[in-house]
Amino acid sequence: MNLEDVKVGAKVMIRDLKGKEEVIRRVEAMGLRRGRSVEVLQKLGRTILLKLNNSRIVISKDIARNIYVE
Amino acid sequence: MKSEEKNIKVALVGNPNVGKTSLLNHLAGTTLRVGNWPGVTVEKKEGKTFYNGYTIYFIDLPGIYTLEPLSEDEYIAYRFLTEEPPDMILNVIETPNMERDLFLTAELLELGIPMVLVLNMIDEAQKLGVDVDTERLEELLGLKVVKTNGRTGVGIKDILTAIVETYEKKITPKEIRYSEDLERLLTSLRESVKETKQQLIKKLLAHKEYLHEIERLYGKPAQQVIRENRFAFAHGLYNEVVKRKPITSTDITTLLDRFLLHPYIGTVVFFLIMFILFKVSFDFSKPFMDWLDGFLNDFVSPALGLALIELGMPDLVLRFFSEAVIGGVGFVLTFTPLIAVIYLLLSFLEFTGYLPRIAFLMDRVMHRLGLHGKSLIPLLLGFGCNVPAIVATRTMESKRDKLLVIAMIPFMSCPARLVVFSFFAITFFKNPALVIFSLYILGIVIALITAIILRKTILRGSLEHFVMELPPYRLPTLRLLFGVVWVYLKDFLYRAGTLIFAVSILIWLSMNLPPGVEKPEDSIAGKVGKALIPIFEPIGIKDWRVSTSLIPAFLAREIVLSSMATIYLAEGTKKKEEFSLSESAKEQLFGLLSATKEAFYSLINPLPRTFEVSEEYSNLRSVVSKSMDELSALSFMIFILIYTSCLGTISVMWREAGKKFALGFLIYSFLMAWLSAFIVYKVGSML
Repeated sequence: MNLEDVKVGAKVMIRDLKGKEEVIRRVEAMGLRRGRSVEVLQKLGRTILLKLNNSRIVISKDIARNIYVE
Repeated sequence: MKSEEKNIKVALVGNPNVGKTSLLNHLAGTTLRVGNWPGVTVEKKEGKTFYNGYTIYFIDLPGIYTLEPLSEDEYIAYRFLTEEPPDMILNVIETPNMERDLFLTAELLELGIPMVLVLNMIDEAQKLGVDVDTERLEELLGLKVVKTNGRTGVGIKDILTAIVETYEKKITPKEIRYSEDLERLLTSLRESVKETKQQLIKKLLAHKEYLHEIERLYGKPAQQVIRENRFAFAHGLYNEVVKRKPITSTDITTLLDRFLLHPYIGTVVFFLIMFILFKVSFDFSKPFMDWLDGFLNDFVSPALGLALIELGMPDLVLRFFSEAVIGGVGFVLTFTPLIAVIYLLLSFLEFTGYLPRIAFLMDRVMHRLGLHGKSLIPLLLGFGCNVPAIVATRTMESKRDKLLVIAMIPFMSCPARLVVFSFFAITFFKNPALVIFSLYILGIVIALITAIILRKTILRGSLEHFVMELPPYRLPTLRLLFGVVWVYLKDFLYRAGTLIFAVSILIWLSMNLPPGVEKPEDSIAGKVGKALIPIFEPIGIKDWRVSTSLIPAFLAREIVLSSMATIYLAEGTKKKEEFSLSESAKEQLFGLLSATKEAFYSLINPLPRTFEVSEEYSNLRSVVSKSMDELSALSFMIFILIYTSCLGTISVMWREAGKKFALGFLIYSFLMAWLSAFIVYKVGSML
C-alpha cells in the first residue's frame, strides 16, 4: 500500500521510498524514513498532511504515491 | 593582543522553524540588518554583539534540513560553510524534534568547524516529556551545549559564554565515527591530518573503485550508505541522551488545526483574517500617511522656505530645497507607516505558524493557476497598495514563485488608480461603476496572462513536488515583532527609499529646468511630453498636456490629475499664503491628534475606507472633457491601469527581484499597456 491510499486518522509504518533521488533526500531529511510511523491527519486537494513525532509535514500526493507503507 | 583577533564570526545554522530569527533578535538586538545573499533573492540576516571584550558577528544561514545542496537555500549554506568557514557554528536545534535535527548536526560536524549546540524551545520539549541529558551530550560530542527558550530569551547569556569559552579554549568537536568498513575506506583516503571528514567523503564519492567497494560491502549505493550512517548517528545519539516520559495532553496545535485547516471553516477564517489584515494595514495607516504628507508640505516646506529667504537664497535654490528635497523625503516617508504595519502583521502571521498553513489550505485553488498557495496574500494586498504587496512576497521560499507573483502584483488595481479612474469615468461615462469594475477585471486578466508568459519563458519549472513543514502554533513576543519590523523598515528606507528620493528629485528638476521657466510647456518635461506624442497618438492621446502629465505621474498614478491641473490650468505651484510658524505648528499638532483618532475609528468601522474617493478637480473636469473624448479617455485609463507608473512599486521590485527584473518589467508593462490601449482604441474607433 502507498501513503496516498491511507485513510485519514490511520497510523502507518514507512517501508520504502521510491522515485527521484532528490525528492527522497529531501523528505528523508525532514524525517520521513524507513521504519518511521506516521499518522495521516488530513487530505486536501493534491496534498496530504502528516504527523511524524512532534512535527507536521505536508507533501503532495505524487510524492505520497511513492512512499510504501504498512 | 591585536584588536582584530578579538572578533569571532559565528554562523547560525539549523532546520527551518527552529527559532533562529528569535534567537538572533535576542543576541544581536538593534544591530540586526537584512540583506540578500549575493546574486540571489534569499534573505540574509546579520548582526553583532559585544561580550567579554569580544565582538561577536552573527550570520544567519537559511533554514535547511540537509547540507547536500539541492535547493538554493542549501546551496548558499553549503557554499558559505565550505568556502568561507566561520570561526564557529551555532547549531540551533528544535528540541521537540531533536532526532530529526541531529541529522544536520552530523553533516555540520563533518566539516570540523568548532561548534556550539543550542537546544532551543526547551520549554516545549519539557511539556512533551522530552528530557535531554546535556552533560552526556557535551561529553559525547566534545562541545558546549546550551539550553534556551527563544521566546523569553532564557539562556541567551549562556550562548555568549559558550561561544567565548569554545573560542578561547579552542574546543573542537570529536570526530564522528561511522560504521567500521566506511571508516576504514575513509581513513585509507587520508593524505593529511588536516583533512576533514566532509573532504574525505567528497573524495570517496569521486573515486569509482571506492564506490564499487561500498556497494559490494553494503549492497547499496554509496550515497545511501553515507546517509544511513548519518541517520544512525542521529538516532543513536538521541537515544543515548534523551529520556522520554510519554505525556498525553491535547495539544493546542491539533485543536486549532481542526478549525483553521478545515476545508470550509478554514477558508472562511482565512478570508476573515485577510479582511482584517487589509483593513488594519490600509485604513489604519492612511490618516497617518495623509498627516505626514501635510506636515511636510504645509509646515516643514514653508518653514524651510522662510529660513532660506532669510539667508538670501535665489528662488530656484529655495524652491529646490523646499519643494524637491522635502517633497522627496515626504514621499518616501508616506510609505513608511504602511510598510511598518504590513511587516508587523505579516511577521505576526509568520511567527504564529499560520502563514505556511495558508499555502496548504489555498493550494487547491492556487495550483490550478500554476501558483503557490502562499501567493494569495500578496496578490490580495495588491488591491490595497502594490508596494507592501511586493514586500509581502518575502514569505515565499522559492525564487520562481516569488518572481512570478511580483510580476503579477502591479496589475492588481490600487486606490491610486481608482482616483484616476473615477475622475475620467465620471467625466466621460454614463455608467462609471461598470467602467471601473471592468478595469479591475482587466487588470486581473493581464496578471494571469503575464504569469502564463513567464511560466512559458523565463520562469519554467513545476509545482509538482510540494513538501513543507507546518510548525506548531506559537505566540511571538512583541519584542520580537517590533525588533523584526524595525530591521525591515531600516532596510526599506535605506534601499528603496534612496531610489524613490533620487528619482523624485530628477522629476522635479525636469519640471523646473531650464532655470526661469514660467509655463510647463517650456520645461524639459514639456518638451519631452511633446516629443512623445507620436508614440501616444495611436492610442488616442493627441494632446501634449496629457503625455507631459505622465512624466511627474511616474512618482505615483494619482499625480496625473494634479499635474494635469497644473499644466491645463497653468495655475502655477507657488502659493502665496501667509505662513506663521507658531500657528502652523499648533495646527499640525491637532492634525496628528485627529489622524490618530481617525485611525482608531476606522478600525471599528467595518467597511474598508481605502476605496472611498473624494470629489476634487472640478475645474479640471470641464477643460479635460473638451480636449478628450470617451474613447481616448478609456484608452488612457487602460494605459494608466497597466503601465507601472509608480516609483514605489518599481523601487521595491528593484530591491526584491533585482535591477534587471525591475527595469525589464517596467518596459514590459509599458508595452502591454500601449498594446491593450491600442487594441481598445482601434476596435472602438471602428464601431
